[in-house]
Parts: sequence; structure tokens; C-alpha cells
Amino acid sequence: MKVSLTWLNNYVSLKGIKPEELSQAITLRSQEVEDLSPLVDIEEGVTIGEVTGCRPHEEAEKLSVCTVDTGEKKRTIVCGADNVAEGQKVVVALPGAVLAGGMEIRETTIRGVHSEGMICSLSELGIDEKYHQEEGIHVLDPAAPIGSDALEYLAFNDTVLELDLTPNRADLLSMHGVAYEVAAIFGRNLSIPDPELITSEQANTVEIETQTEGCQSYYGRVLEEATIGPSPRWMQARLIAAGIRPINNIVDVTNYVMLETGQPLHAFDYDALRSDRIVVRDAREGESFVTLDEEARTLKAGDVLITDGERPIALGGVMGGLDTEVTSSTRSILLEAATFDPARIRRTSSRLDLKSESSMRFERGVDPQKTRYALDRAAALIAIYASAAVRDGVQNVDRHARGPRDVTLSLNTLNKVLGSNYEAPAVRDVFNRLRFPYDEEDEVFTVHVPSRRQDVNTYQDLIEEVGRLMDYNALPDTLPTTLSIGGLSSRQKLRRHLRRTLSGLGLFETMTYSLRDVSRIDDLTLENGKPVELSKPLSREHHALVRTPLHGMVDVAAYNRARKQESIHLFEIGKQYTSEAERERLGLLMSGPYHHHRWRPTPPTDFFTLKGVIEALRQALNLPRFHYEAITLENYHPHQTARIYCKGKSIGHIGKLHPEYVEPQGLEDVYVAELDIESLEALQQEDYTYAPVSPYPGVRRDIALLVDDDVPAEALKDSLASVMPDRLQSSHVFDVYTGEKIEAGKKSIAIRLTLADPEGTLRSEDVDALIAEGVEALSREHGAQQR
Amino acid sequence: MAVPAPDRAFLFEKGRVSMDVNERIKALEEKLIEALKKVEDHNDLQQTKAEFLGKKAEISQIMKHMKDLPEEERPAFGKAINEGKQRFSELIERKREEIRRRELDQKLKQERIDVTLDAPDYTPGSVHIIHRIVEEIEDLFIGMGYRIEEGPEIETDEYNFERLNIPKDHPARDMQDTLYIDGERLLRTHTSPVQVRTMLRYGGGEPVKIICPGAVYRRDDDDATHSHQFYQIEGLVVDEHTTMSDLKGTLLRVAREMFGSDREIRLRPSYFPFTEPSVEVDVTCANCDGDGCGVCKQSGYIEILGAGMVNNAVLRMSGYDPERYQGFAFGLGIERIAMLRYGIEDIRHFYVNDLRFNRQFT
Ligand SMILES: [Zn+2]
Repeated sequence: MKVSLTWLNNYVSLKGIKPEELSQAITLRSQEVEDLSPLVDIEEGVTIGEVTGCRPHEEAEKLSVCTVDTGEKKRTIVCGADNVAEGQKVVVALPGAVLAGGMEIRETTIRGVHSEGMICSLSELGIDEKYHQEEGIHVLDPAAPIGSDALEYLAFNDTVLELDLTPNRADLLSMHGVAYEVAAIFGRNLSIPDPELITSEQANTVEIETQTEGCQSYYGRVLEEATIGPSPRWMQARLIAAGIRPINNIVDVTNYVMLETGQPLHAFDYDALRSDRIVVRDAREGESFVTLDEEARTLKAGDVLITDGERPIALGGVMGGLDTEVTSSTRSILLEAATFDPARIRRTSSRLDLKSESSMRFERGVDPQKTRYALDRAAALIAIYASAAVRDGVQNVDRHARGPRDVTLSLNTLNKVLGSNYEAPAVRDVFNRLRFPYDEEDEVFTVHVPSRRQDVNTYQDLIEEVGRLMDYNALPDTLPTTLSIGGLSSRQKLRRHLRRTLSGLGLFETMTYSLRDVSRIDDLTLENGKPVELSKPLSREHHALVRTPLHGMVDVAAYNRARKQESIHLFEIGKQYTSEAERERLGLLMSGPYHHHRWRPTPPTDFFTLKGVIEALRQALNLPRFHYEAITLENYHPHQTARIYCKGKSIGHIGKLHPEYVEPQGLEDVYVAELDIESLEALQQEDYTYAPVSPYPGVRRDIALLVDDDVPAEALKDSLASVMPDRLQSSHVFDVYTGEKIEAGKKSIAIRLTLADPEGTLRSEDVDALIAEGVEALSREHGAQQR
Repeated sequence: MAVPAPDRAFLFEKGRVSMDVNERIKALEEKLIEALKKVEDHNDLQQTKAEFLGKKAEISQIMKHMKDLPEEERPAFGKAINEGKQRFSELIERKREEIRRRELDQKLKQERIDVTLDAPDYTPGSVHIIHRIVEEIEDLFIGMGYRIEEGPEIETDEYNFERLNIPKDHPARDMQDTLYIDGERLLRTHTSPVQVRTMLRYGGGEPVKIICPGAVYRRDDDDATHSHQFYQIEGLVVDEHTTMSDLKGTLLRVAREMFGSDREIRLRPSYFPFTEPSVEVDVTCANCDGDGCGVCKQSGYIEILGAGMVNNAVLRMSGYDPERYQGFAFGLGIERIAMLRYGIEDIRHFYVNDLRFNRQFT
């Protein structure tokens, strides 16, 4: 809502209040002020002149040399506008004036002619083109007094306060409402005069019938013999200040009164009606109607139609019809002031994408007590400014319930909710300033809420009124006295643990969008499924919910690689979104040197680098052993991908991305893994288990074996462990070799065993026996030969 | 009998035996000192040692003559020889140590490094700045006894709107443009549904003191200040005596934790369907200290969050009796906090994850 301060000052005196103070007070006690600025950003030097002479410039076809009488002298002014002519009263910017946009006017010589000022267009005064359709200079009416301040004459010497209204405060969509608010904030008097309407002998004979619940009230007046023309300058200026384009005296009055009262109005060309009836009804499904923007609208059953009994003439509360529009030839007018079901207006205007000043007010709810007032006020103004005769009588249907809403608030409740210590006189003062009538008994206030404040319905609403007008910043700073124990859940602790461990290992946490291109949604996952898609996607890229954080991470890797980042090691705690659940997933991605040595060799980052990170994480989380089983998975390297198991349960996967998948993205050698966080949480051992450290030294033995190439190392180690469960402390593969001297299809593998007896020192012959037993098992189970 | 060596004649000058031996050893010692000066390495030293202390060394030869001496002179003679040998050994050992030292120094010199060369890249990664701030806020609230509650991002219209006092066709729905999955399901536009779910779980019989962090979504075109996905933390306290002053005191602590202990806050009336009264909270601009500057659009304040007293309708729909309970709620956007705190100019940075950006928050 844009508020003209000149206009506001008509209802509540702003004397002694600087605009900045007003703005600050409104911000702190009512609504956020978005902007405070002059309607026209020109300080001085714009005056009214008369063009007393005008001849073409001898050296420039498009220029005119004008003699302009600005009162104190006759000036020569070179003007480029086509419409300049002798006898016009015009707006003259004198040398020294600074126009909107910072252009300073100087005496200057244009193609050999000395020019002492500039004749201005409205745009040059800073009036946006959306408010006027004038080409060339602005021509004032002949009565404009030469030598006076042009901005004052045009009523442009105004300041505009723009409120960023919250949707509950429908009342502030009117100047009256803002006046009530400012009067309450500053404790000032308020004066809102009743309309002064003189009616003719002729009676208003329009019959009004409403057949739908969608229309709650409908008031109509008829005016005759109207002269269509421009509205007065002050009204145009105020409309412009409010952000509405002046059109003609009839339309301008309906808009002006809407701004004044918050009640939207509509004017029909009365002679264009096919009957003397107004029938308000529900639209029929599929019915067509041409609105005054010349669009044919297809209606739905929920829309409210105003008809003349034969054909639709307006889409109730949203937009009038083209056929009954007020035009320059209109003589008689049917003036409508009605109220509609806010929800239905909202549905219609959203569906047709027709948000108007009027629909916006209806959606939020208008004051039913203002409907008649607005009708009479508009009729009175049209009578004056269009010289119309107002027929006697108002026809109406009104279903609104009457009587104030009573809301009760005790001083005790007020203070209990605010944590304040306010006393009864202060509360009384607030209600008085708000002009809320009330009864008071034992510090309990029964407030009779006026209909203009449809947002005040509960005692909490009243607490807000008192709280804000007393200033929330006056409240003390206390903390809740509720005693409680704070803390993290095991999942929350796990997430933190993951973040600390992985960042400690040199990985960067990423955060990527959950919405993605649906066609790639299952690119990197173990399981496929039906994606969760938006019904109206934001765009192709933000279309469906991801099924793994890995997608976003691959994008991040590509982005960074394209920016010459070498080491790209990432993790993200993301989600797999399905129709049934959201499962948290840990994504890991490694590409490029890890623990980069730069000036000396760094081992290449490969599958085992990432596996090492996963194993470090496993130990940090105190999880049981992981098993890796080679699998194939689309978009992954067919021979470097594994499913990860823990305690027999699949908990994720690890693998190298297929070169054909990553190369188009400018990447190579990308290793990723995904772990299911819920599984990790379930597997976490509750606490550490302790065993005394054996004082007996372990014995180290190496065995070298020749086995088939496809026997996994883990299987060999498992066999050894099963043969000597309480003796084998650890086993590590320390050499793997294929190639020369090894027959095709075989590999040589060397395992270092550490054996120990927790009870005593192992004797050499016992060790020999254990090793022999182990080798025997390896040979039996895996066809391994000792080398 | 063989002709005695000249030494022998010399040695056998009666009465002067001991003294002569001493002098002789002395002379040998000087010779040794001279010889050692020319010693370069362990090899030379070995040779010199053999020359002066070996079986064929002069001192060993002299020793052989002891048996020719009268009984009473032998001890003195023996002592002189042994002491001499002792000294020779010491000299040689001293030299050995000197060589070892020198050779070690030499070796260490070979090991000289340029200490300014780059270290290998063991630098830690980083926790995403958004999560880092979330944890910071969580810790502040855990310290005040709050628990952290979470909920699904795919929500229903019921929990995201209706139970929060935002019925269908309510103008407030314009405040949050929603991404719908179907007629009923949507991506939550705030974490407030978690509050509702938590209250329903608590069953209306006990106080609630929680914060709810999580990702939320709005139908917004991404640009420098808008993101269709962002991170939010909401807080909720419901008890018999929870006041708006408690809210104000709590938010002051949040503002100071986030922006510094000298910050002040300012409450302005606002509107949210789920709170009544509702406020927006500004913090004094850290850039100009409240005087007004470009960062705060000359107001001296920067808006950081929305809050209010829980609307009774919401309490009722969540199973809490408003006759007995009252509460406050607040919600803040983490990206906004981070942008203000570090002067980050574009919200998209958080989701792009340029490592040169992320690395700054290691
Ligand atoms: Zn500032």
C-alpha cells in the first residue's frame, strides 16, 4: 500500500511529525515501511509558463524556438517536442533546477539559439510512463497561473510511504485504515467525514437479486447525465501516488474511493445493460465471458458472475466486462459496491491469473460497514467531478451479520502472555487510541471490535494490539523457566561424528539440491524405483527428488575440475527420497591426488584410497568388520565395484565410475561410495569392549601362495581365521603379483600373519603346526599352493 | 749374543732406567701426536694405532726388555709402559671420536633440506558452513535444555499448512509458494510441521522445548538472494508460563551468538498465521553498528528471523489446551545468517560447493 502523506493528513494531522519519524513509528508498531520517497524528486525551480510564441528552429527541423512567459520574464526556450504550440500553459524547468534522475537544467545554446530552461514532459518530472500515455510535453489547463510552482499546481508536492502489508491487515489497504492506525500510534485525533450526497427526484429502479452465497452484499446506485472527462488534478496525483493510472473521472473516482475506504467499486455503463436488473449468480462450468482487458475467459462453477439478467456483465470482485465498460460516450452509470466470499475471489483470480487491486482487497476481506459508505462517497464525487445527477435511493441485498464482535481479555492474561507488567490505564489508553469500544470489569476488558478490524477475533489478537502499541521492545529479556535436559539423539550424534571424521580425513562436505532432472535420477544407485516428482516442476533440472547424494556430488566434482581443482574429495549427508520414506545416505567421492605430496611422488588415488577412508570411518564409528563383494552396476566400472556388507547386511556400495559416464562431464578416475546411515546407526556398538593387552609377544610368519586369479584375498584370510580363531591376531596381504613367471589365470599372493597365544608364548613348533594347518585349509578350500 | 740395539744400550745405563723409559715414551707420544695430526679417517687411524700400540710397535718392543731388568726396577718400568699405552689409547680414541663426529656432521650435511618447501597436503577438509552454523545454534540451545527434533521433507498439506492455521484459500499461502508433489503431498515450506508432529507425539501433557533444523523448499527462481531450497531452524517452547519476554530474551542470545556479544535486537510487529502476536526480529547492523549503511539499507538494522507466540488454534490442533499452555516459536534461515555473518554475496555459493569457497570454512 502506497500512502500519500498529503492525503493521510486530511484524516489525521501529521503536524510536527517528520516523515522519517512517521516511517520509523509505523515500522516499530504496525507494519514494515518499505520505502519513503517524494512523489516527484524535484526540489525547486519548476514553474508554470505560457508559450507566447513558437517558431521552427532555423537549423534543426525537429526543434522549436519558443518564447515562454514564466511571470518574472519572457524566456527563449528551445523545445524538441512535437506537441508544443503557442498559447499552451506548460511546465518549465528553470536553469538550476535538478530534475528527477539528476538532470540539471542550465542555460545553454542549442544550434545557435540561446535557451533559458526546459519545457517538461510528465516523464521528465519523474512520473512513470505507466501512469500517463502522453507523448511530448505536458500541457496544463488554460487556467494554470503563470509563474506559480508547477509541482504544487499538479499536486505532485507529496511524499509517499510504501507499506509492506501482511495479509491479515486488510484494513490497511485503505487510507481510512492507515489513518486509524497512525492516529492510534501517535494518539491523535481522527476525522473521517461522511459523504455529502444530493440526490435527484428520479428514483433508482434497479432490481438486485443475488442467487449465490459467493456474493455477500450488493449495493447499487444510478447516476445520470454524467460528463466523462479527466478527473481533478489532485485526484490524479493521489492515484499516481498510490500506484494507479488515472483514466477518466468515473473510473478514477471508483479507484479513489477504493483507496480511501478499501471497498472496491465498479461502474457500469447503465445504458449498456439489457434490463433494469442485476442478478448475481454462480458461473456455469465452461461459460465464456470477455473481461474489459478484451480476453475471453472460460469460467468455472465457483466463479461469481454479475449479470444484467440476460448476460454476464462482470466477473464478480475480479474484473468488469468489456460490453458494459464506461467509455467517453457513457452518460448513465450503475455504480456497484459489493462484497464477495474471499476464498472464491482468491480461487478465481489465482486460476485466471487476474490479480487486481480489487481482487486483492476482496481476498483479504473488506469491511462490510464501508460498502454503503463507499457507494455514497463515490456517487457524491461523481456528482461533483462528472456533473452527474444521482438518482434517489440505494438498491441492495446484504447478508452480512451486524453487530460488533466481542473479545475478552484480562489484564492478567495479557501480562502472563507478554511477560510484562502493564497496568490497566495503559491498556485502556491503547484501546482508546485504537478507537476500540470496550467495557471493563475487574481488569477484564470486553472489547467490541469494530468491523474494520476483521483480523481481531481472539484475545491473542488483542494482546498483539496492546503489545505492539506499547512497543515489543519495552518487554524484558528473560529466558524460559521450563526445566529440561537438552541433548542430541544417536542419529544426530552419528551425523556429527561422520562430519568430524570425514573432514578430519581431508574430505569436504557438500550440500547440493534435492531436486534434479528426473531422467538421471537412478544413474548411480543400487536400487531403482519410482521417482518422487513435482506436479509442477520448477524446471527440467529441478524436477524430481534425488535418490542419492552422489548425483549432486558428481556435479560438484565436474564443476571443480573445470576450475582446475586437482584434489576433489567430497562427502555429503543426503537422502534417498522415495514415495514411502526418506532414508539418509552418506555419499563419498574421491578423485585426484589424496594427501598430495606435490614435489615428490604421491601414490595414485584409486579404489583402495576410498576403501581406506571407509575403513577409517568404520573404525572411528566403532563398527564391526565390513565385507566387500564385487558386483556390477550400471554406470560403474565393471571390475572395480563392490557391495559393502556388515554383519551380513548390505549397507552400501563403492566403485569407480564408468569412464563413459564421467568423461562427458570432464572427469576421469572418479571413485564414489554410498553408505546407508540408518544401517550405520543400527550397527554402532553401544560402547567399547575392553580386553587386556597380552604381555606375550606375537609371532610373525609370512606365507606365499599361488591361487586362481579370481580368488578374493578376503576369502583366503577368512579361511585362515577359521582354522586358528584364537591364535590369529591379524593377517595382511603384503604382496600380490601376476605376470611373468606366474602361469596365466593365477596370481601370487603373500600374507603376513601375526599369531599369538594370550596365555603364553607360542612355541616355534606350535606356530609351524598352525601354519601347516592354515596352508592345508587354503589348499583344500581355494586350491592354493604354497610357493 | 746379538749386538744390542742402540736403545738397549741406552736403556741399560744403570741407575737411569726409569727416567729413560719415561723420556722415551714421552718422545713416542709426541711422535704419535704428530702422526695423529695427519690422520684423515678411520683407516689411517687403524694404521696409526697398529704403529704405536700394535705388537710391532716400539712401546711393545720396549716392554719385552722388562725381563732383563733387575727385580726391583720392574714395577716402575711396567707402570711407565702401561701408563704410556693408556695415554696412547686415549689419544687415539679421542681422534676416533673426532673422526666419527666429523663424518656424522658430513653425513648430516648431506641431509640438508629446504625447510620452506611445501608440506604434503594433509590439510583437513571441512564441514559445510551451513551445517557448522546449524551445529553452533544447536549447541547454544542444547545448553539451554532444548532437544533437537526432525521430520520429513516430503510433507502433507495438513501438517505444512492446515494444522498451522493456514487453511486452503488463505491469503497467507501466497507468502510461501509451494512445490507440490500431488494434491496432498508437498515439499515442506518451513520446518514448522516438525513442531506440530512433536506436540502431537508429546500428547499435550508435557512442556515442549525443541528446535527443528532442516531443509525447506519454496517455488522461487534461484538468484543471488533467492533459493528454491534453503536451510531453516525453528524453535518452539510450550509450557504453562512461556512468555513473549522469554522469546525476546532467547532471541537476543541467538543474535549475540551469531553476530557478536555487542549486538542488540529489535522486534517489529509482523504476521504469521501460526503465531499471534507475531514479530520480525532485526539485529543491529555489524557493519555500521546501527548508524546506517549500505548493508542495512541505511536502517541500522538487519532482519534475521520471524517469531511469535504460538497461535491458540495451532496449540489446539496439536493437542495442547490453550487454557493451560502457551508458547513461543521462531524460525530463522541459516543461509541468510551465514551471508550476513561473512558477507557472502550470493546464496547459490552454498549449493555450488566450489572448493575454493568451502575451503575458507575449514
Ligand atoms: Zn549498517
